[in-house]
Amino acid sequence: MKARCCDKLVTAWAWLSGLVLTASVATLLGFLLTKGAGTLSPALFFGDTVPLDALLLKRQVFEGIFPATVGTLLLVGLAVGMAVPVGIATGIYMAEFAAPRTKAVFGLFFDILAGIPSILVGLFGFSAAIFLHHHFSGQITPCLLISALSLAFLVLPYLIRTTQTTLENLPRHVRMTAPALGASKLQTIFYVLLPQSLSGIVSGIILSIGRCAEDTAVIMLTGVVATAGIPASLLSGYEALPFYIYTVSAQYADQAELMRGYGAAIVLLAVCALLFALTAFIRHRLADHLLYGAR
Amino acid sequence: MTATNEIKIRARRLFFAYGESRVLNDLHVDIHSHTITAVVGASGKGKSTLLTLFNRLWEDIPDARMQGSVHIRLEGTDRDIYHPSCSLPDLRRKVGMVFQTPNPLPMSIYKNVAFPLKMAGISNKARIGDAVETALKQAFLWDEVKDRLREDARRLSGGQQQRLCIARALVVEPEVLLLDEPTSSLDATATETIEKLILSLKETCTIVVVSHDMAQVERMADRWLELSEGRIVNDWPDNQWIDSV
Repeated sequence: MKARCCDKLVTAWAWLSGLVLTASVATLLGFLLTKGAGTLSPALFFGDTVPLDALLLKRQVFEGIFPATVGTLLLVGLAVGMAVPVGIATGIYMAEFAAPRTKAVFGLFFDILAGIPSILVGLFGFSAAIFLHHHFSGQITPCLLISALSLAFLVLPYLIRTTQTTLENLPRHVRMTAPALGASKLQTIFYVLLPQSLSGIVSGIILSIGRCAEDTAVIMLTGVVATAGIPASLLSGYEALPFYIYTVSAQYADQAELMRGYGAAIVLLAVCALLFALTAFIRHRLADHLLYGAR
Repeated sequence: MTATNEIKIRARRLFFAYGESRVLNDLHVDIHSHTITAVVGASGKGKSTLLTLFNRLWEDIPDARMQGSVHIRLEGTDRDIYHPSCSLPDLRRKVGMVFQTPNPLPMSIYKNVAFPLKMAGISNKARIGDAVETALKQAFLWDEVKDRLREDARRLSGGQQQRLCIARALVVEPEVLLLDEPTSSLDATATETIEKLILSLKETCTIVVVSHDMAQVERMADRWLELSEGRIVNDWPDNQWIDSV
């Protein structure tokens, strides 16, 4: 009787928790949409610049969030692009090659790295930029490249740990299949273990994309600027959506500007959704290619 | 070809342990070419472990330790398979293994069978196609799958999956085939087909099979070894009640 009661209580608790979480997300999205949907128009992106001129980079946009959207896309692309190869390779090393002691020591460092507040990573990036400015080239200042590198550091532990755990959790019979058929260790990793771990690795990548897209602390210290336009090179300042949302909500001049902040928040969510969809699509194609490719 | 007196596998003074638990204890055995040798005994007595000593698959298991020597006659010459010069991929192509639970890779039927060839660096499509067809025919599976080679192999029935795994091991023309309870997860009809298949393979391979089913062992095997306390305690039908060689 007591056990049954307990069962029911746990089930009810689980349901309630799920419900609260779903309701919170729905409320948040609903709030953003009702507040910001009205501002979604070409004017939100391009202000009074002719959209085609802005898209062809003929004229700089001052009043719209087009440069911030492009900045965020570039930033996420660069940061995740740099972090993914290193993160996956380290994850493979940890799961397949590292000796137990090395694994324990490295694991501890990765966990510490994962726990470092992003503002510290930002400060580190800032200091690195100053150091490089003084000792290597006067051209190096806080910029898109420094921001992307700092963000890459920030998300590396997620990528490493997800790759490592997914690989380690593969059942033994899966691990044994390829070696028993004469595959070398590297062949086993590339032809069997990685393809089978694809969904775990991809969830790490999605987590990283979200983290890079939303982070404000790191980029504030390492190169984001309120009005920079589209960055001319990796060594230029840039705009980004989270920073735009932050400045607008902190110092808006009128109600219309605040509303544009809500609009920008919706765009940021849409950018993330787009990147997630792209990742899922690549995963799907990759799985098809690796596992079911042509005869 | 039929059973000959040529010794295919010669194992001496085998000791094996997982961590602190000892599995094989001073085991000696000779296995003859083109015979079916069954390894029987209670669960957890090291039957499957003994098989993995013949293709060195145990080396991928953490905490496992082994002593002793295993020589296998491959391509006409006697090879010490634990000698540092012995290439693992080559050894495992010549000494194929099929596991208890069918383990097709999550890819098409064709790609599954072609997989070991790809691993061996063979890229000639016509040659791969021929080898896949031959292996599937050898494994009595060709007629059932020839029109659906690009389907996911995991959609096959349990018995078909196991025959696919046998075909996959056969595609690189092994000289020894290690079968670890190949029918234990299958129904009676599927088991019967696999038994016929195993008997037909005796002409091309030397087969060592682990089995729990004594009736099956009597139907198939030329010789059976009973493992207990890490040694061979019975060797039918030749030398009964041997302790060690």
